[in-house]
Amino acid sequence: MTEGPEAPENIPEPEAVQLPGSVHLQDLSVNFGRHQALKNITAAFSPKGISVLVGRSGSGKTTLLRSINRLNEEFDACATSGQVYADFGQGLIPLYDNPDLFLPDLRLRAGMLFQNPNLFPVSVYRNLALPLQLAAGFPKAELPDRIRQALTSVGLWKELENRLDLPAERLSGGQQQRLCLARTLALEPRILLLDEPTASLDVHAAKEIEDLLLQLAGRYTVIMVSHSLAQAGRLGSRILVCEEGRLSATLDAGADFSEEMLARLL
Amino acid sequence: MRKIHGGTGAAERAGEKAPLLLRLAAGMALLGIAMLFAMILAFALPAFLQPGPGGAFGWFWRPYQGEFGILPMLAGSLLLSCSALLLAWPLALAVCCWTLSAAPGLLRTGTRAGIRFMTAIPTVVYGFAAVFLLTPLIRAGLGGAGRCWLAASLMLSLLVLPTMALILEAGLKPRLDRLCLGGQALGLSKLEILWFLVLPQSRKTMLAALLLGFGRAAGDTLLPLMLAGNAPQLPGALTESLRTLTAHMALVTANEVGGAAYNSLFTAGALLLIINAVVSLLARRLAGRPGNLPGEQM
Repeated sequence: MTEGPEAPENIPEPEAVQLPGSVHLQDLSVNFGRHQALKNITAAFSPKGISVLVGRSGSGKTTLLRSINRLNEEFDACATSGQVYADFGQGLIPLYDNPDLFLPDLRLRAGMLFQNPNLFPVSVYRNLALPLQLAAGFPKAELPDRIRQALTSVGLWKELENRLDLPAERLSGGQQQRLCLARTLALEPRILLLDEPTASLDVHAAKEIEDLLLQLAGRYTVIMVSHSLAQAGRLGSRILVCEEGRLSATLDAGADFSEEMLARLL
Repeated sequence: MRKIHGGTGAAERAGEKAPLLLRLAAGMALLGIAMLFAMILAFALPAFLQPGPGGAFGWFWRPYQGEFGILPMLAGSLLLSCSALLLAWPLALAVCCWTLSAAPGLLRTGTRAGIRFMTAIPTVVYGFAAVFLLTPLIRAGLGGAGRCWLAASLMLSLLVLPTMALILEAGLKPRLDRLCLGGQALGLSKLEILWFLVLPQSRKTMLAALLLGFGRAAGDTLLPLMLAGNAPQLPGALTESLRTLTAHMALVTANEVGGAAYNSLFTAGALLLIINAVVSLLARRLAGRPGNLPGEQM
């Protein structure tokens, strides 16, 4: 990123801001030491539907996703240049070099789901309650209602209603991933960043998650990394192809994106 | 079965021989320890079997009156170790939490390097520095001779601090690393993840650090010898003198070559050996177990 904080009003309006969408990447490059993971990417992500990032391993898909919630910065020797703008309900704001943006707030509003369910080694209830209480600052009295709503939204409430004190690690893989999604949704994000969310699940559990994502796509800006071209075709309203740290192609839902066509692009 | 890899003959031969040599080495080490235990216990046995006035289990060490009680020294060892841990354990935990979560890059690297360096400082250096720097301060500020329970306790806590901090770091860091990215993606800070998720899961690591620190504190000879004053008594205050089992053994062996005083040392040695063996076994048992056992779930 550019050196030193800069007042948001001094940041020049990027060309990409003119595009419709709620996440804009402006000339974004990310380096890890001497390795350049993303190279001058400019792109916009639509607020409706699911944008799917596809590409070979090491093409920069996950780095791109993590540049939106600034999770790359947690890794040593990460250097980012360019800018990311996101709309969390009050217009586009710059996410980098913005002294008004509190990093934990950004991560609440841009929720992330990982490839493997990364539950905390505590109970189901505490998995949901801890971030609600510590990161989002909701009062304790509100927690039971919010937890019920979150579990209901991912279809887990009936299964877990009477087992909230169960260690979360004892749930099945699909339940664990749905619980992770519930934990993210409970924090009321505007953007969902999904990093191969079905890669570690069996076919049935993956189908459940996919159905859920399609339901959520109307309410959130969903940006998803997928290693499966078939899944990208099923879920994506827009498919972006990553290649060696750049976006090499973008296909909209109107276009005919068959699996063969995607395979050719990759 | 047909061999897939060629050219491994030498390595295989070495691999066949190594277990025998290893077994021999391990057997000799075990035999040595067993003989040490057997010898100390055999010499100490009379004192255990015939307790009574003048024996090892008395509260007075007056060799010229035929009293060879080592209980003040046992109490001294326990008091000194516990008081040193009272300071060192929370400090080690705080240092470890700080370097793992909140410390800025350069300061974190510096602190970690400093802690590692502290493990390499010879005990006598701590003792020597304290004799000239700490004891005059205590003498001036709190009165007394300066060489007292407090002086030994402060320096002993400095001695065991790196041991405990390194054990804590080795136990906490992998758990923190596992939870960190997911927690940060939910807006939690590293310190929150450490405090609310890692520490409650790591009670065994924390206890293991405490026990190993205790073992190191109870086993140290030089610091109490140089700083605690060595009066064979139960101290009534932190500024009073005390004598530990280890210092007592060092002092008596330096002056005696036989007789009842010398024999009572075997009792002291046996007690020290038993305390340290139990503590060490407990600590290793705790540290060796994975932390995320069902019993440690919240």
